[in-house]
Amino acid sequence: MRHQKGVVTVFDPERLAEIEEGKKGWEETALRENLRRLGLSESPCQFYTPLDVRDRDYLQKEGFPGQYPYTRGSYAVPVYATPFAEVLEGGVVAPRAGQYAGYGTVEDTRDLWRAEKRRGANIAFDLPTQCGYDSDHPLAEGEVGRAGIAVDTLQDFETLYEAFDGLTTLDGMVSNFTINAPCNIILAMYFALAEKKGVSLAKLHGTPQNDILKEFVARGTYIFPPEPAMRMIRDTITYCSEYAPEMNVISICGYHMREAGASEVQAAGFTFAHAIAYIQLGVDAGLDIDQFMRRFTFLDFGGGMDFWREIARARANRRVWARIMKERFGAKNPRSWIMSGGDTIFVGPSAYTLQRPLNNLVRGVIGGVMGYLGAGFTFGGFPWDEVYGLGHSYEARQLSLDAGRILRYEAKLKQVVDPLGGSYFVEALTDEVEEEIWDVIRKVEDVGGAVEAVKSGYAQQEIARSAYKFHREIETGERVIVGVNKFTGEEELEVVPPRLVPHPYDPKKLESAAERQLARLARVKKERDQDRVDSALKAVHEAAKKEDENLIPCFMDAVKAYATVGEICDVLRDVFGEYEAPSIL
Amino acid sequence: MPEEKAIRVLIAKPGLDGHDRGAKVIALGLRDAGFEVIYTGIRQTPQMIARAALQEDVHVVGLSCLSGAHRILFPKVVDLLRQSGLEDVLVIGGGVIPEEDVPFLEERGVQAVFTSGTLIRHIADYIRQNLPAGRQT
Repeated sequence: MRHQKGVVTVFDPERLAEIEEGKKGWEETALRENLRRLGLSESPCQFYTPLDVRDRDYLQKEGFPGQYPYTRGSYAVPVYATPFAEVLEGGVVAPRAGQYAGYGTVEDTRDLWRAEKRRGANIAFDLPTQCGYDSDHPLAEGEVGRAGIAVDTLQDFETLYEAFDGLTTLDGMVSNFTINAPCNIILAMYFALAEKKGVSLAKLHGTPQNDILKEFVARGTYIFPPEPAMRMIRDTITYCSEYAPEMNVISICGYHMREAGASEVQAAGFTFAHAIAYIQLGVDAGLDIDQFMRRFTFLDFGGGMDFWREIARARANRRVWARIMKERFGAKNPRSWIMSGGDTIFVGPSAYTLQRPLNNLVRGVIGGVMGYLGAGFTFGGFPWDEVYGLGHSYEARQLSLDAGRILRYEAKLKQVVDPLGGSYFVEALTDEVEEEIWDVIRKVEDVGGAVEAVKSGYAQQEIARSAYKFHREIETGERVIVGVNKFTGEEELEVVPPRLVPHPYDPKKLESAAERQLARLARVKKERDQDRVDSALKAVHEAAKKEDENLIPCFMDAVKAYATVGEICDVLRDVFGEYEAPSIL
Repeated sequence: MPEEKAIRVLIAKPGLDGHDRGAKVIALGLRDAGFEVIYTGIRQTPQMIARAALQEDVHVVGLSCLSGAHRILFPKVVDLLRQSGLEDVLVIGGGVIPEEDVPFLEERGVQAVFTSGTLIRHIADYIRQNLPAGRQT
């Protein structure tokens, strides 16, 4: 490789020539001799030198943490070294919105939260709510109150938020809603609740997930076709920018795609492609990008066990995003150039195994180490029993919490920002992974952008292909998963620690949750003013037909009349139609 | 093995759970293993699944659920299959299924449950070995 003209590198060209010479000599002597002794034809390891990063401009490619292009970190002081991170690791529940939760009915969850003295709501909704079906819909059978709470009407919201009475008020708390397709209906409930309580919408803080594109691609709680679904996200952006400017409007997720089988670069590339489509909605609505980007957040990008690639991916992600914002969208405020919240690095639960499940603790800790080395936010990993489904045991949570503490306090990993910066290998790999991410983004653009990629099934197909490839590697043994496809002999011991500390949510309550929720719903339907519901739904119908109209005010009228999520969604289904997933197998 | 070509498998996702990585991977894997595979996609009611099984004349129905609704939805599919006259269709299941639920599901007609970490060749072997004699092709 020749030294490139005009590029300011940190290496002296003459010295590089000597290194090149030296490397050749090393290969012919030390390496060759070692391989001969081991009986190997080639080295099982790669080896990097300054030659691999010779043509790089440090200031252009790496720079400083908290400065463009953010390779070395989103912030000058990384999140893992902030007091906020220490509070989290103190084990204090609910410093902000608290742990993602939803148990059975709103009453069950309200009582639990009240007992825990929570000061924030981080709401998991059940699947019928997420898919816009009421609890009494045939498709809701078996799912009501599972994986989250059922919210059919505003009354459910009113009951849930009783948990905070006397502890905090809506303007003093944060609410996070893991909801996508019917997001604006849930937001309308939150806004209606605030109005009823006399709290100005301008003082509300919270984050709805509202990332519908990844639902089409990976998570599956879509309702309407992509175009009207995107229109509703535009509604969130424009409505909130005017009336609820402290509310985040979206939490863009790579995690679900990664869990669905996307590779690390696919998860990154598709996430950025989705983000581009969402940002374009705000731009097309005539809003100032630096203003509305304050309210765009990222969840995270998920993660797997390919240690070095994950670290490189996290570093490359920051650079790619900064370039997209600065160069493509022309954002001026450096705040717009970083992925707010998107820098959490961990090993995702799809890497966890049911076999010898305590090994998951180790996998989680490896993710925690990656977080420090990738200069992102990090923790001690998901509890090892995540693999059994939602509802971690207290024992498993304790172990994960301690794991994070050990990394921080005993191993002192927080001492340095981006400790691998300047590593010949990691910088070279970061460049390589960055190129791969750009390639995914380019391919999405080639098929017409993120919405088209969803409609044609391109994104779904790509991810399914990766998921299958990953599984094939496990089947063939090319990819080793300890206790799953290797080291499974009879002499191995299945270690399953006990989980004895009782969870405060009595599982018996879950058995009656659906019945109780159906009774609640029937009662509301009986007591409400049906004429008011009918006219509010009619207004939704009329507004939905006009593409320019923002639907959130109509949703607010409808939910205040106690129209159900399912009824409102049915009206929209009427106008918008329903999304049909393309067959990709 | 040409005779295997005719073993028809319906992979189905009952309920509202959208986590379909496992279902898709198994559909692709069984196809590669020589089976004829039909995948329903997500959000299927038990009725839709039974109807598809009948129409497609399948030998095996594989159900996948990760939301926790398996205790209600899997037995319902089995019942509807039997009511539709599909007496000997082999029903298997997978997903996030707690170990303590497996005996219950088996009792209700789900003949085998394959959870996370299962190799597809083991599922393929199981199907070949457990297909009722009358349905052998």
